[in-house]
This record gives sequence, C-alpha cells and structure tokens, in this order.
Amino acid sequence: MSLDIDSHIRHSTRHIGRSVPRREDRGPLTGRGRYVADIKIAGMLEVVFVRSVEAHARIVSIDTSEALAVEGVRAVFTAADLADVKTFPDYIPYIGPVRQRPLGTGTVRYVGTPYAAVVADDRYIAEDAAALVAAGTTYEPLPTVADLDQALAPGAPKLHDHWENNCSFDVAPHKPEVDRAFEQADHTFTETYVSQRQTGLPMETRGVVADITDGTLTVWSSTQSPHMVRSTVALMLGMPEPQVRVVHPTIGGGFGTKTHIYPEDIVVPWIARRLDRPARWIEDRMENLVASVHAREQRHEVEVAYDDDGTIRGVRCASMLDMGSGEIFMPGTAPVFVTNACITGGYDFPNMQARTIGVVTNKTPSGAYRGFGIPEGAFVMERIIDRVARLTGTDRVELRRRMLVRPGQTPYVMHGGGRLDSGSHTESFERGVEMAQPALERARARYAGDPDVRVGVGYSNYVEPTSPSYHLTTGHWGGGDAATVRVDPDGSVRVAAGLSAFGQGAETTAAQLAADALGVSPEEVTVVLGDTERAPYGLGSWGSRGAMMLTGSVLLASERLMDKARAIAAHMLEAAEADIVLTDGAFHVAGSDQPSVSWAEVGTAAWIRYVDLPDGMEPGLETSGYFHPENLQHQLDDTGKINAAASWSNGTHIGVVSVRVSTGEVRIEDYVVVHDCGTVINPALVEGQVHGGVAQGIAGAMYEHFQYDPDTANPRFASFMDYLVPTCAEVPHMEVDHFESPAPEQPLGVKGCGEGGTVGPPAVVAGAVSDALSEWGVDLTECPVTPVAVRAAIRSAEAAGTGADS
Amino acid sequence: MTISEPISEVDIEVSINGRTRRHRVPARLLLSDYIRDTVGLTGTHLGCEHGYCGACTVIVDGDAVRSCLMLAVQADGAEVRTVEDLAPAGSDCLSPMQQAFHDNHALQCGFCTAGFLMTLDSVDPAEWSEPERVVELLSGNLCRCTGYQNIVTAVTEAWSAYDGSGGSNDG
Repeated sequence: MSLDIDSHIRHSTRHIGRSVPRREDRGPLTGRGRYVADIKIAGMLEVVFVRSVEAHARIVSIDTSEALAVEGVRAVFTAADLADVKTFPDYIPYIGPVRQRPLGTGTVRYVGTPYAAVVADDRYIAEDAAALVAAGTTYEPLPTVADLDQALAPGAPKLHDHWENNCSFDVAPHKPEVDRAFEQADHTFTETYVSQRQTGLPMETRGVVADITDGTLTVWSSTQSPHMVRSTVALMLGMPEPQVRVVHPTIGGGFGTKTHIYPEDIVVPWIARRLDRPARWIEDRMENLVASVHAREQRHEVEVAYDDDGTIRGVRCASMLDMGSGEIFMPGTAPVFVTNACITGGYDFPNMQARTIGVVTNKTPSGAYRGFGIPEGAFVMERIIDRVARLTGTDRVELRRRMLVRPGQTPYVMHGGGRLDSGSHTESFERGVEMAQPALERARARYAGDPDVRVGVGYSNYVEPTSPSYHLTTGHWGGGDAATVRVDPDGSVRVAAGLSAFGQGAETTAAQLAADALGVSPEEVTVVLGDTERAPYGLGSWGSRGAMMLTGSVLLASERLMDKARAIAAHMLEAAEADIVLTDGAFHVAGSDQPSVSWAEVGTAAWIRYVDLPDGMEPGLETSGYFHPENLQHQLDDTGKINAAASWSNGTHIGVVSVRVSTGEVRIEDYVVVHDCGTVINPALVEGQVHGGVAQGIAGAMYEHFQYDPDTANPRFASFMDYLVPTCAEVPHMEVDHFESPAPEQPLGVKGCGEGGTVGPPAVVAGAVSDALSEWGVDLTECPVTPVAVRAAIRSAEAAGTGADS
Repeated sequence: MTISEPISEVDIEVSINGRTRRHRVPARLLLSDYIRDTVGLTGTHLGCEHGYCGACTVIVDGDAVRSCLMLAVQADGAEVRTVEDLAPAGSDCLSPMQQAFHDNHALQCGFCTAGFLMTLDSVDPAEWSEPERVVELLSGNLCRCTGYQNIVTAVTEAWSAYDGSGGSNDG
C-alpha cells in the first residue's frame, strides 16, 4: 500500500489531516446516547453479583434459601450451577495457569470475587436478596498475602494450590555486555522504584445485557473487544460462534479495563439462556473498584553503573508486577513485559538487562490500563538519569541530549528488540525545552518573594508502541483487523470495521478515510463499528491501534472497491479503465469532466441494473480488507527479542512545579507536551487523546492509589472519597505541540496516539519535585507525590543530612 | 434475618422538562432511577451513585442536584429539568453550550457530559464566567476522557457571548 497520501485522495477537499467535527457528539450532548444501562427489553431480569468480603478464604457453604424467599427473586446461582460452563482458557504457556471459573468456587482469592448471582424482577429486590446471600455465606478464612514481599516470603500462603509458590513467571535474560559495563564503570548505585496500584476508571462502569431469540444469543456489553467476547462466550458456553452476537452500544470510556473478558460477560448470557429471559447486569461503582482490573503496581530493583562524566554504562532492572490474584482473562501479565521493553524510552541505551517477574497476591486481578506498562518504565529511566546527573554534577538536560536517539538513527533497535521505525526523539526534546523555558522563568518570578516555595522542572522522553501484537498478551489472538466497504445502489457508502470505539472518535476517523479514498464527503459515509453481526472480525480498540488499523483496513477495502467501480464506470463510459478517474463522487475520462458516471449509477449497475455491467462481471459492490501491519512480530526470535509493535510514536513531557515546603503542596504551574504520532488524520482528536492521557498520568503521579490493609489484604477504599480522581481544579493547562514523523512501513504513515499522554507525568512530577527540593537532596522514588509524601521526603532528608548544605 | 418487609409506595407528581408526570413509586426509589427507568429519560447517567462524580446532575426547582442522592418522593411537586430539555424543541439545533462543547471537542465518551451541561445550566453566567470561577463551578463533575481543558475552553467561549441581559441561562 502506498505511503503517498495523495495517491489515495479522490476528493478536491482532502479530509485526512483536518479536524473534521465528530459525528459521535450529538447523542451524548442531547441525552440520546445509548449506553448499555439504557437498554431495556420487555421481560428483562436484573442480575446482582454477590462478592467475597474475604481476601482469601474457603467458602464452606452458601445458604440461598432466604434470598430465594424474597418476593420478586427468580433465581440464585452459584458455581455449582455453572458446571456446564467451560473454564476460562489458560492460553499463555509460560505463566502459571489460574483455571478461572466464571463464579468463585471453593477458594476465593480477593475481596470482590463474584461467587453467586441473584436474579430478580428489579435491581432493588436483587440487591436485597444479594445481601441475604452474603449473610448466608460461611467462610473459612485463610492466611493472606497483601504485597510482593509477603507473597514471596519462604513458606508464604499459596494462592493457587497447584503452583509451587506465588510466582507466576520469572523471565531473566543475561547479557554479558551489561556485566562488562559494571566491571568497567567508575561507580554503581542500587535503588528501588515503585509504581502504585491504580485503575483506568471509565466514568461508565461495566455492564452486560443478554437476550436469546430464535436460538441466537445477543450480548450487549460495554467491552472494547466485541469479537473476542463473542469467541470466548461461544467457547465457554459451547455455542457455535454464528449463534452469538456481541454488540457494544455507546461506551462511556474504557482505558483498557474493558479489554478484558470478565466473569459477568459469561454468566449473564448463561443466565439469559438458562431462564430464557433477557437479563441485565450493571456494575455499580463500589464493585467497579474491586471487580474491574487494577493496574500499574510494580516494583523495580535497579542497579546502575555510571562514569564520572555522567555516562550511564549499564543498568540491571528486576521488574516485579503485583498481579493481584491473577484471575482475569486475558491475563494481566503483559504490562510488565511492556515496561521492560519500553524502559529505555527515547534513549539510545542498549546496555539494559531487564528481568520480568509476576507475582500473585490476594488483591483484585491486575490488567490493562492505558499506557500498559510504559509509564512505569519511563519513571524508572528518568529517575535514574536524574540521579546520575545529580551524583556527577552533570546538567540534566545535557545528559538527556547525549542519550537520546538522534535524527538519522532510526530505525533503531532497542535493547529488547523494539524497533523505533521513525521518530523525533531529539527534536521533540529540544522543542519541549524551548517551550518550557518561559514557563520556568514565569514560575521563578511568581514565587521569587515567597521563601516557603521552591520551583522545579521535570522531564520525560518516552516511546509509545502502537498497534501491538496481542499474542504476547493473550497467547491466542494476533494483531490485525478487518473492514468492509460497500457502495449501495443509491451511491451511499457504508464502512464496517472490527474496531470498537469508546470516545476516541473512530467513526469520524473511518468516515474521513473512506471519504478521501472514494471521493465523497464524510457525511456520505455510514460507519458501523462494534457489532459482530454487522462488521468483520477485529480485535477492538486498545494498544493505540485504532488509527492504524482503520487506515490499513479501510484503505485496503476501498482500493479493491475502486478497482471494480472503475471497471464498471469504464464500461458505462465506453472508455479504457486506465483512463477513468474519480473526482468528488463522479467517474469520468481523464482530461474531461463530461460525460460522467456517479457513484449511484455505478452502485445501481453493480447491485440492480446488471445490463450496465461488463460481460461476465460478478455483481455486487462490497469489498473487504484484512490488514496486518508489516514487521509486526508475534513471537520472540532466537535471541529472545521481539518487535511486538507495528510502529512507535514518541513524545516529550516537561512540567514546571511549585512546592510549598511547609505543607508539601505541589502545584503544576505549566505542562508542556511535544507529541509525535506520525501522520495525523484528525488533529483535534489527537489533541484530545493527549489531554486526556496527560490528565490520567497526573492522576497517577499525584493522586490515585489503591491501598490495602497489609494484615488482611482488605481494600482501604470503597468510593471516590478514598480513590482520588482529579477534577478540573487539579489538571493543569497543557501546551501541546506536534511533530509528524510518518511510520515508514505503515499506510499513510499513521502510527497511533491513544496512550502516550499517560506516560510522562509520573516521571515529570517526581523529577520536578525532586529538582525543586534539591537543596534537601530529595530524590523521589515512587508515586503518588502527595503532600504527605513530600513532607516525609523532606523530613527524612533532613534527618539523614543529605542536603547540599549539610 | 428478614428485610423483605412490605415496601411502602407513594404517589408523586413531578414536572419533568415541562411535562407533568404522575406515578406511584416505591418510597426508596432514587430520583435518578425514577428519571431513567420509570420515566425513561436515559440521558441522565449514573457514574458512581454516591454523589461524587456529578454525572447524574439534574436541575430541581432551579438548583443543580445529584439525582442519585435524592429520592423520587422528595421531588414530589417539583420541577425537574434534564439534559433532554436543553436543545431547542422541534429542531436539529443545539443549545449554545452544547454547540460550544461540540465545536471545542469538549466530550469524548460523553458519559459525563449531561452532568456538566446541567451544572452549567443551573447558574447565571454573569456570576460565573471568569475562568477561575468556571473551574470552581465544574470541579464537582468528573470527566475521565478530556483532561477538562477543552471543556473549560468551551464554557469560556459560550459565555463570552453572554450579554448579561439575564436572558437564557443555558447558553
């Protein structure tokens, strides 16, 4: 496929590259969006799940009799009732199999494990009855493990009896060149960096509605991946895939949490079949906080070898992921591999030896969250660079300049095999430094007269793998996507794609692509996403893949459709095919506008008026394109390396903060983003992705933290009063600039932009606050950077006397 | 233990978006569930059901309230406005604030949008149009997609056109 955009443009007004207004807005703006909780079917029953209140226990008995006696309760199901449902597949061979059942049976391993489902006429009754089931449940508590150290201690209670210990996987490469670096370097240090437990937290919780009509099961699910849900529901319920239809209605955000296939995705359809009634379950926020995946809880034990001049010679990093109980499909193992793959960010730093460890604990299973391991690694690398700069008296900006991947150095192969196909690593940083300078000066001037305030600046240069392989994550699925393009008899265009969308504007994007490829306006293009019955197989939206997948699949299908349409038009115009051109919806002979044939005439000929078709041509005007990106690898090569992403975006974040020393209050004064996601299809949408990503990154840098009781592994959160989501008062103004380094091997040079925004903030905020407090020698090693954490760091620095003045 | 005692029901009369509705509802029915399930206006969304996220904000007798923190019976005799009432009736037009949200890419998934719009609709722009006041006003509504920047821009833009004459307060 041609990288030359112009060869794909057949409209006098090019739509690719313009901020075409979103077609998705009107529904939510006027209250006419249709989210899963808005679906109502006659006779529909409500489902409420009963969840474990113990972090680790054997369920001795469940007395459902009182619940069943409540008027309006139709059924209560426990694991024993679902014996005919298959176990969630354990597709990945190198991790501990969890053999997850749709409802908890025997042993429950985290607070929030669903172990019973109450079905009633309405939600209020179902909740009443669920409380009675909870009260009728007898547990035999088992000793808990609440963190990595407890889980790995000798003789620790095991979560999974059939495992040797609580370690799910431990992949430890050995690089002799890193050993040599340590032998030769002037100095070394060791440090532990920590990333805390968070979650994507879409404003819409999860939800499932299931109905069975004439043998076909329809599932409406707030999922990012309808086709994968279909395959899994069909597999686990023992149904043929064509008899399962999965639809995602309007989705209120996902951020990775809705890529997983959860017990409720299986149990609610099972209930609909069992009772032959439509059934609905809508997650409430309290259960969302314990029953939708968590993420980001990692610990990094690092050894660094460096020279007097600031050169970092080598790094050994053991990255340990707290997986929670591990009971989630697809498993939550992949992010820590991504952490290690991306840990060196935009830096030319091959001497990294990264060990990857996954450990289970009695907490909510961890899984996907926008950024998918990248922020954790970026944090480690930037903190290492700042530390070395401080230890050697090297300028932090200068040291980064020395390390960044330079222009002309791409394609650059990273330490783990990731192949930076193109990018603006150095240019973005230089631009960011330039943009941040006035902000820094402003902040210094603003607080010059306040002896209680210090100002600091923090940096992050990261890479964002886009359109990744899903094989490493799932052990099953690959990394391509399909689209079908059809021109109907009236000439209108319909695009259907296996992609999903939950706020990114993928419908608008698909319409822009098809409009240019077929010489029509976007308004003339109908887009269908997120319906397994109406769209071809696709893996959905995650991994910053939407833009590239749509571009590849829609253009492939459109080019094929154009070939046929051109042949029909040539026949109708009695001209040679090679002479036919399409401009603004009309085919004509090159060099002359008249006579012309419209899309409606071509569509009518193809579907209805066969007398206008060339002899022997098969009727119809519908084509498909299955796009699989070039150079995307799904398995490790002989050296243990892999390029598991089709392309790599990059960016620089720089933040200026003020820190009030007496209270520990941190204020982000200015936040600068330089972003490069290759060719931009819709600038407004890209900027929106950056804004939202940065806000979530700041949430992780300063606020959000799931905390558990170390003695009982009980959550210390139950609401938004305990889990602090930033409001508009906390998120600073973001100044965004762009580079466009096209992906040289991908259609139109499109990369992807969904996740990069989340990556920079933890490193930036910790770096900026440490810079602001450098006179105390404060060097933060974990997030969130709360006032309490800042005060503790100052106090401990004062106690240790590590400050510059000491 | 038993909690399945008879549930008392109450007759209520509520004006919703200018139309009077009469229902017999359970005493414990939340106003949010009443609006969504009984009346069928699903533009009001439930993001947390503990009064924090603001997605379910509606206007009751002129004040922005979280409909998940109020019972339907408490709205007996009240005038309630929901997001469905913002756009001019019988046309494809959007209200000026809705239009500003669209023009400035101030929504992505759209789940929180109704709550923002209703919060904005409940105040007099003349008292709230300063940027710092806008941030203060909106700090009771969570959005997870936009990072808020485009929302604040949209509000500022919509209200910059406000002439202070005390006319429509939804724009």
